[in-house]
Amino acid sequence: MITAVIDAFWRAWSDYGERPFWRMVQLFVDRIFRGGGDADTEGLDLGVGLVLTLLAMPGGFVSLLLLNKYGTFLQWLRGNTNVDPLLVALPDEYFFIVLSMTVTGAVAVWRWDAIFPDRRDYMNLVPLPISTRTIFFANLVAVFFLVGLIAFDVNAVSCILFPAVVGATQSKFLFFAKFAMVHAVGVVLASIFAFFAVFAVLGLLMAVLPPRAFRRFSTYVRGIVVIYLVALLCTTAAVPDALRRGNGTSWTFLMPSCWFLGLCQSWRGRAGPVLVALSRLAIPGVAAVVGVALCAYAVGYQRHFVRIAEIADSTASARAPRTSRLGLLLDRLALRTPFQKGCFRFVCRTLLRSEAHRLVLTAVGGLSLVLASQALMDAFEGAKSWRAAALSPDALSIPFILSFLVIVGLRLVFEIPVELRSNWIFQLMLDQDGEECEPLARKVMLILVLPWLLVVAFPVYAYLEGWVVAGLHTLLVTTWAVLLTNIVLIRFRKLPFTCTLPVFKQHSFVTLLSVGFGFLLYAVSTPEFEPSALAEPLRMISLVPVALVAWYVPHRLAKNTIDIEKKLIFEEPPARAVEALGLGDYGR
Amino acid sequence: MLEAVHLTKSYASLPVLQDLSFSLRPGQVLGCLGPNGSGKSTTVKMLTGLLEPTRGVVQFDGHNIQDDLTAYRKRLGYVPEEAHLYPYLTGWEYLELIGTLRGMPRDDLYKKIDSLLELFSLHPNRHTSIGSYSKGMRQRVLLIAAIMDNPEIFIFDEPLSGLDVTSALIFKNLVQALGQQGKLVFYCSHVLEVVEKVCSDVLILRKGVVIAQDSVANIGQILGQSLENTFLHLVDDVDTMSVARDIVSVMKAA
Repeated sequence: MITAVIDAFWRAWSDYGERPFWRMVQLFVDRIFRGGGDADTEGLDLGVGLVLTLLAMPGGFVSLLLLNKYGTFLQWLRGNTNVDPLLVALPDEYFFIVLSMTVTGAVAVWRWDAIFPDRRDYMNLVPLPISTRTIFFANLVAVFFLVGLIAFDVNAVSCILFPAVVGATQSKFLFFAKFAMVHAVGVVLASIFAFFAVFAVLGLLMAVLPPRAFRRFSTYVRGIVVIYLVALLCTTAAVPDALRRGNGTSWTFLMPSCWFLGLCQSWRGRAGPVLVALSRLAIPGVAAVVGVALCAYAVGYQRHFVRIAEIADSTASARAPRTSRLGLLLDRLALRTPFQKGCFRFVCRTLLRSEAHRLVLTAVGGLSLVLASQALMDAFEGAKSWRAAALSPDALSIPFILSFLVIVGLRLVFEIPVELRSNWIFQLMLDQDGEECEPLARKVMLILVLPWLLVVAFPVYAYLEGWVVAGLHTLLVTTWAVLLTNIVLIRFRKLPFTCTLPVFKQHSFVTLLSVGFGFLLYAVSTPEFEPSALAEPLRMISLVPVALVAWYVPHRLAKNTIDIEKKLIFEEPPARAVEALGLGDYGR
Repeated sequence: MLEAVHLTKSYASLPVLQDLSFSLRPGQVLGCLGPNGSGKSTTVKMLTGLLEPTRGVVQFDGHNIQDDLTAYRKRLGYVPEEAHLYPYLTGWEYLELIGTLRGMPRDDLYKKIDSLLELFSLHPNRHTSIGSYSKGMRQRVLLIAAIMDNPEIFIFDEPLSGLDVTSALIFKNLVQALGQQGKLVFYCSHVLEVVEKVCSDVLILRKGVVIAQDSVANIGQILGQSLENTFLHLVDDVDTMSVARDIVSVMKAA
């Protein structure tokens, strides 16, 4: 009897799912996860399960790391015996709210092209016996489902672990339950707000701009949103302190993350007047942003989707390509061979025009700008004059931070392939033994990084500190940038963007740690030493051995590389089952 | 009967199609020819209801198709010029999606999908994602999607694009068979010999205006030459031989 009822229920449910409307909802959900854009090839498909796991991981990891802070035994060892966990948890609560907003916002930016139905949907669905209104509602349902799923997924682990960690010192289950409930509402609302805020921006752009202008501006706006999200993540250290001290006044009202923190702390009864005032903005804020997003979506749908047939397929510009003088100058001075001349333009155009590459570079650029601006603010904090601030390690670190992150970011971006089916032209035409990839990649990095540093850093320091200081500082930054490019390009033997994605290797974690360590050496230790060296230029000599080692190691590694490993590749080789030890080399 | 009555379409007051009228009877295969920019795609989009005409109407059985587009599209099979398919779906999943959205009964749908995939030689690849299909395979998927619900009207926009010789031959015979079955077929193509072979009538467009409309046989008889020569005579101001000679001389230039 029960089995029959269950069977009947599943049959009815399955029939319901097969109705055109729900089938279309499934299609849109699938498309948001796996499709989007006008490319006819499959993009980087990580699979829904892996994507959801990756999104859930940050919250889980951070919760576990907090055990150190809230553990009873550790608290006791530190002598903290009378701690109010609800007050102590404020910065962590803020961090989780920001994390939730950043991850959800980043997903919305990442799937920007797939949230709205596009030309492919139009060509496949509109000629079928379905009204455009049905398509509209099916996509809307898919978007709501997606928001719910992401908000749940991003916050699910932290909603259990974080309250469990904070409540470790409490004996009552009710404390855990209350804390978990308030935390869950706060972070889920923050997620919903972030997603719909991005959705509203997208919808407003579609509603206001003509299609061609929308396509052009879309990337820049996405870049701005990414920078905002990175900046938001960087506020996690400063904002809770400011709010706890009661300093948060006008500027915190402009930060939605503070609204949700206020909401959580108010419901827990641990909010000061500022937080109470902030909490009043949270729910109206979410309602307003959802309302704006829906209205903008409806208008954008009417303007863009329903009229796709009337919009030209191509985005061709009427402008003829201009021969740049800079390009001619580079050809004459830096780019010697036809390979370098042709491929340099290919690399630069891909960096400027490919959506995925621009977004990753924007995120790296955003991070470097945020770190650089923090360094600038730190430099001026407590400094008596411009000159004193300019010679502080914080100010001197700015070009190092920018150059390090941009060079490492470019190295990362070079690994992201673009339309691999098109790389046949390079396979056909390039000499596989030419060994020109590394010099080309180095030139791209240095040409994209050094001119800006020289144009800004040299005149500023020449004006503030004189030619000698400006010259030495610029020389040091330039030398370090050149050495860094040599290091990041060790055994680089592919034309950027034309090779398959590298597989995850065991040494990838080591590489990641090396980047962190390298940043400390490059952008923290060097500027710490630099003021004394600028005061007494002879001290600069002590950096020569470091520079020589940094030059010699990549040089030696390149020399020892066997010929077959220098060949240009278009496919990442899988990890080898058997490694040659090269013992014969020692006999030479 | 499908009728285009004084169709005119303008974009920002720039006319791309002017006063196009024709009728398509059951059993008739009407070919549409014209150089690039002649208005073929605009005509197809208006016949499928994707575009609303600026003036004039498209009527099916005496009713304006815009009055009930959903009902009209239920009776329409359309193969677009470009195969914009979902690359992450398999061929089978795509056809199942289209069949479901067309409201086909599930059992009937699954049987038809399997049979048609077999007949179009796609059965071994039915569970492979479309992203890895060749152009010809994608085109075959589109053809199956258009015909599997047995519609009354067929609109084919460059349907042979990318098809191999065998599939193209099958398709040409299929079009003729559809005509014999009493279906209405509107066939848009650049390939003159195919139009000459499979269509009973032909419509030639140039710069948005109909310049010839008659049966294939009549058009050839009137001008006393093949359809290719007739087409060149009617639409092309270009001396193709001279252009070819110019290309070779540019290639040779230092």
